[in-house]
Amino acid sequence: MRRVVITGVGAVSPHGLTSADFWRGLTEMRSSIAPLSAFDPATFPSRVAGQVPAFKTMDYVPKSYRKATKIMARDIELAVLAADGAVRDAHLATRGVMESFGGKKPDDTWFEVDSRRIGCNIGAGLICADLNELTSAMAPAQGDDGSLSLQKWGKSDDPGKPSGMDLLTPLWLLKYLPNMLACHVSIIHDTQGPSNTITCQQASAGLALAEACRTIQRGQADIALVGGCESMVHPMGLMRWTLLHRLTTTGNDQPGRACRAMDQTADGTVIAEGGSVLIIEDLQHALARGGKIYAEVAGLGATSSARGIGGPDPAGEAMAVAMRKSLKDAGTDPRDVQLIVPAGYGIPRDDQAEASAIKSVFASRQPEVVAIRGGLGDAGAGSQALDLAAAAMALHYQTVPGAVNCTTPVEGLHVPQQTHAAALEHVLVSTGSIAGQNSAVVLRRYA
Amino acid sequence: MRNRVVITGIGWVTPLGRTIDDVWAKLLAGESGIAPTKLFDARFFPTRFAAEVKDYQLPEHLRTSGKHEEISRATGFALDAAHQAWRMAGLPMPGTPASAEVDPYSVGVYLGSGDAALDFDNFTRSALNSWDSEKRTMNMAQWGRDALGSFNALREIEQEPAMPISHVSMEFDARGPSMNCLTACAASTQALGEAAELIRRGDAEVIISGGAHSMIHPFGVTGFNRLTALSTFNEDPKRSCRPFDATRSGFVIGEGSGVLILESLDHATARGANILAEVVGYGSSADAYRVTDQHPEGRGAIVAIESALRDAGMQTSDIDYINAHGTGTKENDSTETFAIKGVFKEQAKNVPISSIKSMMGHLIAAAGAVEAITCVLCIRDQMIPPTANYSVPDPECDLDYVPNTARKAKVEVAMSNSFGFGGQNDTLIVRNFVP
Repeated sequence: MRRVVITGVGAVSPHGLTSADFWRGLTEMRSSIAPLSAFDPATFPSRVAGQVPAFKTMDYVPKSYRKATKIMARDIELAVLAADGAVRDAHLATRGVMESFGGKKPDDTWFEVDSRRIGCNIGAGLICADLNELTSAMAPAQGDDGSLSLQKWGKSDDPGKPSGMDLLTPLWLLKYLPNMLACHVSIIHDTQGPSNTITCQQASAGLALAEACRTIQRGQADIALVGGCESMVHPMGLMRWTLLHRLTTTGNDQPGRACRAMDQTADGTVIAEGGSVLIIEDLQHALARGGKIYAEVAGLGATSSARGIGGPDPAGEAMAVAMRKSLKDAGTDPRDVQLIVPAGYGIPRDDQAEASAIKSVFASRQPEVVAIRGGLGDAGAGSQALDLAAAAMALHYQTVPGAVNCTTPVEGLHVPQQTHAAALEHVLVSTGSIAGQNSAVVLRRYA
Repeated sequence: MRNRVVITGIGWVTPLGRTIDDVWAKLLAGESGIAPTKLFDARFFPTRFAAEVKDYQLPEHLRTSGKHEEISRATGFALDAAHQAWRMAGLPMPGTPASAEVDPYSVGVYLGSGDAALDFDNFTRSALNSWDSEKRTMNMAQWGRDALGSFNALREIEQEPAMPISHVSMEFDARGPSMNCLTACAASTQALGEAAELIRRGDAEVIISGGAHSMIHPFGVTGFNRLTALSTFNEDPKRSCRPFDATRSGFVIGEGSGVLILESLDHATARGANILAEVVGYGSSADAYRVTDQHPEGRGAIVAIESALRDAGMQTSDIDYINAHGTGTKENDSTETFAIKGVFKEQAKNVPISSIKSMMGHLIAAAGAVEAITCVLCIRDQMIPPTANYSVPDPECDLDYVPNTARKAKVEVAMSNSFGFGGQNDTLIVRNFVP
């Protein structure tokens, strides 16, 4: 069986645009949650967010592809950035990287990829249309009663004027298809191998990693770009999670303290954006080209809570089964796990359910538990991708980042208050999505 | 060592009907499910027809009835199709005494389903009410106040593409791996292929797989109309979709769901299940070419077809029938033909190829699932459904498209192609089950 390792990390998060920024933010135990500035949230009860610092997507795509940035929703832009960071970190000379270096490898530490042997599996969320763009097209198509007239929307009464729909760019639909994250990335980097888009909300990235890992193990690819990205920082996203009672409403005056993941004082999560793309690779392939190895993908487990959106099972049974499956797949024992990175949304019932699952699997021999949502918020399909990036970097640097805003952890959890060096052998990353999909991943130190 | 994967149940909800045999008879008779759009007022749209599921209602007697408020059409279709397939497979409903023999953690769900329609009335009303026509921007404070008082939490979350799997998983207490992929028009073929891989590895014994989708709503049709991908043959909707014909002018938007029960051979045999067919090959690739166009030489399509053949350990001469992606757009049908010829070489002209989209329209994410079911039925009945509305040959499409009339033929092995916007290509091969 081929072993699969992580050889590159690209992370785009409220902590910054690179994996180095992300890791610095984690180890310095910063909160990057701030007043929401992407739009005016004045009438919403939760007005804080984890927003990615400003960037120009143009700077992250080859010159020949700049035009395409016009049809990228925010979620797609995040994936393009994360993928660019990942391939550069792994020193993969993809089509996009080569073009940026004038058509050749910068030096021999870069590896020229075989496009047919590289896949792409990036989890995505439900991408909302830009409200201003769509409404500006709807406005001239209002009927006499002020509502949208499908007649005016479809056909102009004045042949010299466009209809409502004509005001939308012809490629409008393509901005919002979830598979466009992977599609743009596959075009920029010329990845022609197996490609997929898992849309299981917060559990997407772990499931995408699992699937891509199997394609490498089956021999259908040597390398894959995997992960997930999403921006929840959108009026529709804020509206949806407000109505679902997922968000804290008490943190507006103290944004840095708003999300208290896995803490007893938690009272809701914070919307965020970001995500990560990891390079995973067949171990022999990575060794042969002299790639840097962050960690090995050791075990994968997936289950469903089969409860719809009725909230998590308080006992966390299905989540615990996913954890056990991933440990069994890794051929390891709960005692060999030193760190757990749970979803830890900062929503009391969700955090409690996760804690129950952790306690049932690990009994009294508790590994350290660090939920990174406390400083970052919940970026939907980007969340577990960032958790995986954190776990890979923790193993690589043999360092546990201290938890943010978790001074009174949910009972029974062992939560580090300081960043510290640690002999990490295995890290478990586990997430349950709103709709009940659970994904658990065990990463192992590569030595 | 990998497990063999068999199909033990099938079910669908389609524009031609909602039972396997009824729809199958209509496909063989060349009937069309395409008609003027009724789901919304499309009278002034460039395209005023669609392949709708008629008079749809959620099936009665769901085990978890009461937990499906505000579900989307796609989720309803998926629950219905999954029930048909589960029943045909002879699997016990959770909670019945026989269900004690099924480990819920060995039953997974893997669908290729799309996101659902926006809450159109609330969305358009709240957006327009908040539009500041002078500043040409939304007044977000006003919108927020309006939206929080008018939108319905459940109706919003039910638009997520993961909701069909969430409801199906709950209804059948399927606690194994649960996934949804959304690779546009290739999604459910990809879901079936990846689900088969999970069973091959032993990650699940049974997977409820396929897809569900409906984009027949004002903004869905707007999106495709703006792309000029849809047929605008309003004068005769039943003849609007003409795959491989020289006069083809676009695809026809459809909706529905197809669900197949995939099962490890050992599990199916142990419980004495009736085996309909075997999944023997799956191939997947990306064009990595353009967001809008397929690679003109079918580069990715060729890789997908070739890797499915390799996966099945088969030669092109083993393939008795190809269920084409065959959307009826200029580009797809010539590119697909080019790709088939690229792989099958001189044998290409001997393989019957047909597109049921000529009758059923394009079910988008759900298309691959109903087409996989069609392949199973071809094998069961040794019949191939036609490509309807074929009359004018196109020199670029010069293969045997089974024009207009169903055909009796030996079908041991059938191949189904699906290609998605953005360049995802997936091919599935199913075979008559031979122990």
